[in-house]
Amino acid sequence: MIAYRNKNTAIHKLSPVPKLAWVAGIVVLSLLFDSPLYLALLFLVTLPIVAAAQVWREWASYLKLALFLGALVIVINSLINYHGAHVLVEAPFTVPGLGRPQVTLEAIISGIGNSLRLLATISAFSILTLTIHPDDLMQVLVKLKLPYKSVLVTSISTRFVPVLAADAARIVEVQQSRGLELGGGGLRQRIRNRTAVIIPLLANSLDRSVQVAEAMEARAFGSGRPRSNFKALEMLPLDVAALCMALAALGLGVLIRVLGQGAFRYFPAAGGPALDATAVYMLLGLLLLLASVWPVALLKRKLQLD
Amino acid sequence: MIRIRDLTFFYADSTTPALDGIDLDIGDGEFVLLTGPSGSGKSSLCRCLNGLIPHFYGGRLGGAVEVQGWRTDQHSTAEMATKVGMVFQDPENQLVTTEVEREVAFGLENLGLPRQVIARRVEEALDTLSIAHLRERPVSELSGGEKQKVAIASALALHPEVLALDEPTSELDPKSAEEVLSAVQRLNDELGITVILVEHRMERVAHLADRLLVFRQGRVVCDGKPREVLAKDDLSALGVGVPPVARLARSLNHSGSGLLTVPLTVKEGRMALAGLFKKASPSQRNREVRTADKPVVEIRNLWHAYPAGTTALRGVSLDIHGGEFLAIMGRNSSGKTTLARHINGLLKPTRGSVKVNGADTAKLTTAQLARQVGFVFQNPNDHLFAETVEEELSFAPRNLGFSEGETRSRVESALKQFGLEAYRRQYPRSLSGGEKQRVALASVLVVQPQILVLDEPTRGMEHGLKSRLMEFLRDYRSKGNTVVLISHDVETVAEYADRVALLSEGRVVVDGDKRSVLSHALLFSPQINRLAQAFAAYGAPGDILTVDEALELLR
Repeated sequence: MIAYRNKNTAIHKLSPVPKLAWVAGIVVLSLLFDSPLYLALLFLVTLPIVAAAQVWREWASYLKLALFLGALVIVINSLINYHGAHVLVEAPFTVPGLGRPQVTLEAIISGIGNSLRLLATISAFSILTLTIHPDDLMQVLVKLKLPYKSVLVTSISTRFVPVLAADAARIVEVQQSRGLELGGGGLRQRIRNRTAVIIPLLANSLDRSVQVAEAMEARAFGSGRPRSNFKALEMLPLDVAALCMALAALGLGVLIRVLGQGAFRYFPAAGGPALDATAVYMLLGLLLLLASVWPVALLKRKLQLD
Repeated sequence: MIRIRDLTFFYADSTTPALDGIDLDIGDGEFVLLTGPSGSGKSSLCRCLNGLIPHFYGGRLGGAVEVQGWRTDQHSTAEMATKVGMVFQDPENQLVTTEVEREVAFGLENLGLPRQVIARRVEEALDTLSIAHLRERPVSELSGGEKQKVAIASALALHPEVLALDEPTSELDPKSAEEVLSAVQRLNDELGITVILVEHRMERVAHLADRLLVFRQGRVVCDGKPREVLAKDDLSALGVGVPPVARLARSLNHSGSGLLTVPLTVKEGRMALAGLFKKASPSQRNREVRTADKPVVEIRNLWHAYPAGTTALRGVSLDIHGGEFLAIMGRNSSGKTTLARHINGLLKPTRGSVKVNGADTAKLTTAQLARQVGFVFQNPNDHLFAETVEEELSFAPRNLGFSEGETRSRVESALKQFGLEAYRRQYPRSLSGGEKQRVALASVLVVQPQILVLDEPTRGMEHGLKSRLMEFLRDYRSKGNTVVLISHDVETVAEYADRVALLSEGRVVVDGDKRSVLSHALLFSPQINRLAQAFAAYGAPGDILTVDEALELLR
């Protein structure tokens, strides 16, 4: 199951606030940067955190999806994007309105850049979902002034994902026992077959949602009084330190981009600004700030244990 | 103090009242049991107590409900939550967070209580239910019984004076149910909380309650001490399952044997009936011995391991003979369900083999086996998807490639057999519980399989429905068909099965005639057998299982 489990690692013990800031930093920077080098480094810097949180296996299932999507982006991009100076293959025919289809080196490179962006973003998000307790996340989001009810709905949906999966598996068994062959048949037959599973699943979920609503009301939901929180969003000094470093990383990244580094031009010929010494130092600083969340988390746990 | 005056309620889309002129006073600290067929108003009454009716469920409300001085129509459900805690039937559908501790705190957070108060109350509630060790566990990993205890703790944390529990045990296995009920009893005994409990299985709870109310069509038709109410003769007609010991004593009273009180537990039964049992002279009884037909299902050294790594079956060998009524019993996760799913090929053996009518299930799909093996699941809602009952029934025959004419004639005969002709054009999901059960059963039996497997079909079922289902199975079996019933329900198995296989840790530990398996056991013996065991020294036969057999002995 790809869901949060408390693995008690230093990363899990870190307050959700710095983790959220850290993930947000990676996501924002991967949108700002265009250079494949910068994007690749953003992706690589998430790896030690995944290792430290001991969530390799769960992360891998997210990454499989990311790699699949990435490959798709590269293929589609190289097939439909005809800009670029270096033509590798050219079709012997023309398509009305598009001209002669061709695969260019630049189109492939730009596909790779976009895939790296996807990889970095998904890897960062997997750290968010795998190491922050959903209820903690909800509390932070509410603190950030997101509407409580929307946040609650999201959190309840995550709670019911495993339930829904079990429901679906059971209903498939029920209908197979009534002679349903899920694989075969023509399109019409297949749609019919899916209905036999989907209708009970949907109808049961609707019943379920009424019951959940009823149970929530019976426990004083919507009392009109401002909600309080059982768990304090405690920020120890080292959490604050981690938060500051995450924010500093974001700031530095924005600065790098404003100074013109991290940009990249794909068309007509691929190329970016030269990496001078300042750029290299700034980039190293950025990576160091991002990676430092790990030692800080380790330090926090050590202090807590002592 | 709960005061209900002339309470009448119609749900928004209904023309018959769910509650029809109820007058009721319930004193502080009373333990009140509500029973009666489904749709008779028990749940609606619970919903009235905490204001879900009329605030959550719209409809027409007449009369008044007052709990501890608060009129429910003048206070919101959220306010009423501090007076009346409510626990629902399905443990899955009343937990909204992902962690036990937070779940218990949810209601307190809704009230906006300060953090220190919440922390203290969460602690108390966890301790009261003895579930402090579950505190940080994810809700999704808890067993049904544990979930139900968390739900009770969550209600209790709001410090209600009344706890209303709407069939809290009907989704649980007997052991978890027992645990939940004894927790409820403790709350009533030690904290003096008023308990309103809806329950079908009288033998579990009748002795715990101060008062028993029987509902029928929105009215309270019996109200009194459980012992007195259960002594009445007409309860089975009202759809109430009377505990076997009580049923035995009542029948004896009726035939003039002159017992004074009706016993509710085996212990009371032993005391009340000691004289009779000691006087009884066991006659030589002739037990019909059934000659075994040839096996229709042959299970040989069956092992099954799930992909996640748990080994659910460890070398099961079992022959199921044609025309047999086999019950498969065992505690939770003993492998019953896994075993049953091998009979119609939903699961394939990891090692060993399963043959149905000589054909290896490993080589057949479930759909191919469906002509021979029907499989009925617990919840009819999982079956139903079609627009009309007719279509629902024609799904299986069409899947199996029956001709249109054949399909039509099969559907017609199934409609007739299950008394569904009047409903043929209705939407199956909007039928009542009992009708849905019938449609689900018909939708499987319409292809006339010779083997029928049922996975805990009676769990949470009211008494009347259960007897009708079992009578149907008895009839179906008498036509030479085979029934395999997975059940926790010892009394039902004792009454209807003829062979019992007991599973434990993926192995068959006992397999034989129901008399040898179900007698002389502790938990897996029916009440009457546990009663009779005490008098073995006086010559009482150790293998009687049912009320009728006991009556035959004692008369």
